[in-house]
Amino acid sequence: MNNKKGLGSLLLSMVICGSLLSACGGNSNTTSEGSGNTEAKAKVAEIVFALPSFNRIPDDLSKVTNAINAITTEKIGVKVDFRLFGPADYAQKVNLALQSGEKMDVFTTLGQFSNYVSKSQVAPLEELLPEHGKELTAILDKDFGPDILKTTTMDGHIYGIPVNKGMALPTNIIFNADMLTDAGVSADSIQSVEDLPAVFAAVKKKSPDVVPFGPINVNPTDTGLVNWMKGASKVDYLTDTTGVGVVIGDSGKVVNFYESDVFKNGIQMMREWFNAGYLQKDTATTTITAMEMVSSGRGFSFLGGYSGMEVGKQLSAQVGKNIETKRIAPFYFDTSAVNSVTWMVSSTSKETEAAVKFLNLLYTDKELINTILFGIEGEDYLKVDEHHVKFPEGMDANTVPYTSMLSSGIVGSESLQYQMEGINWSDVELKLQENKDTARSPYFGFIFDQGQVKTQMSAVTNVVSQFLPALVSGSVDPDTIIAKFNSALKDAGAQDIIDSKQQQLDQWLAAQK
Amino acid sequence: MTAKPKSKPLKKTLPLLILAGPGLLYFLINSYFPMFGVFIAFKDVNYAKGIFGSDWIGFKNFTFLFQTSDAWIMTRNTLLYNLAFIALGTIVSIIIAILMSELLNKLYSKLFMTGLILPNLISMVVLSLLVFAFLNADSGFVNHSILRPLGIPEINWYSEAKYWPYLLVLIQIWKTAGYGSIIYFASIAGIDKSIYESAKIDGAGKLKQIRMITLPLLKPTIIVLVLMSMGRIFNSDFGLFYQVPMNSGALYSTTQTIDTYVYRALMQLNDIGMSAAAGLYQSLVGFALVLTVNAIVKKVNPENALF
Repeated sequence: MNNKKGLGSLLLSMVICGSLLSACGGNSNTTSEGSGNTEAKAKVAEIVFALPSFNRIPDDLSKVTNAINAITTEKIGVKVDFRLFGPADYAQKVNLALQSGEKMDVFTTLGQFSNYVSKSQVAPLEELLPEHGKELTAILDKDFGPDILKTTTMDGHIYGIPVNKGMALPTNIIFNADMLTDAGVSADSIQSVEDLPAVFAAVKKKSPDVVPFGPINVNPTDTGLVNWMKGASKVDYLTDTTGVGVVIGDSGKVVNFYESDVFKNGIQMMREWFNAGYLQKDTATTTITAMEMVSSGRGFSFLGGYSGMEVGKQLSAQVGKNIETKRIAPFYFDTSAVNSVTWMVSSTSKETEAAVKFLNLLYTDKELINTILFGIEGEDYLKVDEHHVKFPEGMDANTVPYTSMLSSGIVGSESLQYQMEGINWSDVELKLQENKDTARSPYFGFIFDQGQVKTQMSAVTNVVSQFLPALVSGSVDPDTIIAKFNSALKDAGAQDIIDSKQQQLDQWLAAQK
Repeated sequence: MTAKPKSKPLKKTLPLLILAGPGLLYFLINSYFPMFGVFIAFKDVNYAKGIFGSDWIGFKNFTFLFQTSDAWIMTRNTLLYNLAFIALGTIVSIIIAILMSELLNKLYSKLFMTGLILPNLISMVVLSLLVFAFLNADSGFVNHSILRPLGIPEINWYSEAKYWPYLLVLIQIWKTAGYGSIIYFASIAGIDKSIYESAKIDGAGKLKQIRMITLPLLKPTIIVLVLMSMGRIFNSDFGLFYQVPMNSGALYSTTQTIDTYVYRALMQLNDIGMSAAAGLYQSLVGFALVLTVNAIVKKVNPENALF
């Protein structure tokens, strides 16, 4: 008897255990079962749409979700489960959903395109686009050019839709204009990077406490030097970020960027700046961004890539100083410049058709785009004119019930988005024009499949993060360190990556003819 | 008749079993079910095929750990730092515990204890900023207020690897020793006071009491705690080795550990097969070390062994 009792309790605990476990997985099924009541309802497909927001994430999204659904159910018969995550959470939340098999249909990559593809996490779209994404393809063609989808095509499959915005990001020097005037230098004297040392010297002479030049990102330090070199010398990184296999110009030969003269000269220049005291002594390891330095009045300038010409105004408002920008190097379109922000459909999605229909609307429907970005008219924003909006009286981005206006570079087509009051509309047009006019790499559209050299990639990434920050900030002696850097790369298997890339590139080039 | 002696213990233990139930369930769900996940370390994970359908690739996921010359450096660092932490940490903790227990004033003893535990509550990120405030090149306390006025050449701490072994050990001990002393403190409090009294009558001084009574009676506790930390000897505190040196590339030769290497290498690849491989490798080595050390302890003194 007692034995049975024990068995019973064991069984009971197993049942409890089992029900706990199954409860986790059960949620996703209930939604699809519930909607099958009538025939009309059965036609409404439901998709999960996850958006990163750089604004405050509101507690209650139901109003905006309803507004979105009102548009989508009427126009395409799709119901949207709208999820909003902060930028730090986003990739993690999406990855978790993808790995655990939770429903997640439409999501964006923040720069990891080929990773998602090589792990088969995303669905091919080329069969669905001609039928359900006609307008989408048309607006991308019109705004960028017909070859934009090449940047998201691997092995003949289209895996994603790049965001339609100003993608050309020429290198600018961003500086405190008042300090420049104080130092008695005219902004017109800055035309190229060669003009900068003289400016820095003048600024340093006038105000010795000011740091003339700072890093834009910290940890790992990035002084903008690599981006400047990419634009000025036409370097195509061929879709990975290590820089170990690149093509310079149109030579067609994959080389190690860190062995090239372009790199050596750039580092040499930064070393001279460093030795002249234009950078902080601890630039390589500082945790203070140039932006913070500039806004506190201790910094004078930094290098950054920005599209359009209006960025100075935005930065001035942000930083609280009189900021101006000057372009000093052109941009060079390589594949990752375009596919770094790409909308994708999960390979486990059961509603790929609805997902593509929704994507189509996301790029072409002014009402939908702006509801996602600004919320509900009258409550979250007020219309000023055709292109411009403002926040309601007495409210700002932090106090309105809903806004994700800082995510404007992620949602659909920039040309259909409202702009905040005060931003010159012609800048949007300029950005679109530059998308078409900017020089393109001859390897535009080539995507490197890292699958064969994963091990080497991980090792090389480590070596790069060890040496590059100190080099780009000029804080170590390039003569000895560059050689050390390259021999460490060789140890880590850089040559395998170069060979594999060259082989893939040759194949790709042959297929283009 | 034969069933009776069997059922009796069950009757007695059933309430205990029910009591243990939630705890067992917790371990089952959180510690034992996930263990099946180790097979991911041997797979080339492809989400379209599913984790179970993905191809087996043998030990290929492990190779990235041994790919570069860094492999030796990071293994050496991980092991030596942890040995230093265990050895010095234990010694400092015991000293603190003994000193605390000798404090007769309860109020002071509580006050000091709280103060010593406080560093343990500070997050590594905050700690890294504290350290930065001390060491940064321009305005750091050490350079700005000590070396400069004394006319000693300033040191660029974040680009000189040779200082970091000392700094990291110092920081780790400062952070954890107070917390670690609690268990020793409790063990000392549990020692029968009459032993000390009889020792006093026999004429033993304070130091002799500590040497002859406190330390020998602490031995089992010390062995158990050291054994437990042995299991994690291949794991390192990510915050300490990544945040505190500010991820400075120039310092990798003395700050790179297996955890930071894996993090840096896989941040971009986002490959769960390779990260599972790294985790498995660390756990297996830890497991082997616990068994070895326990076997040694067993041989020397069977009573003190953990199992």
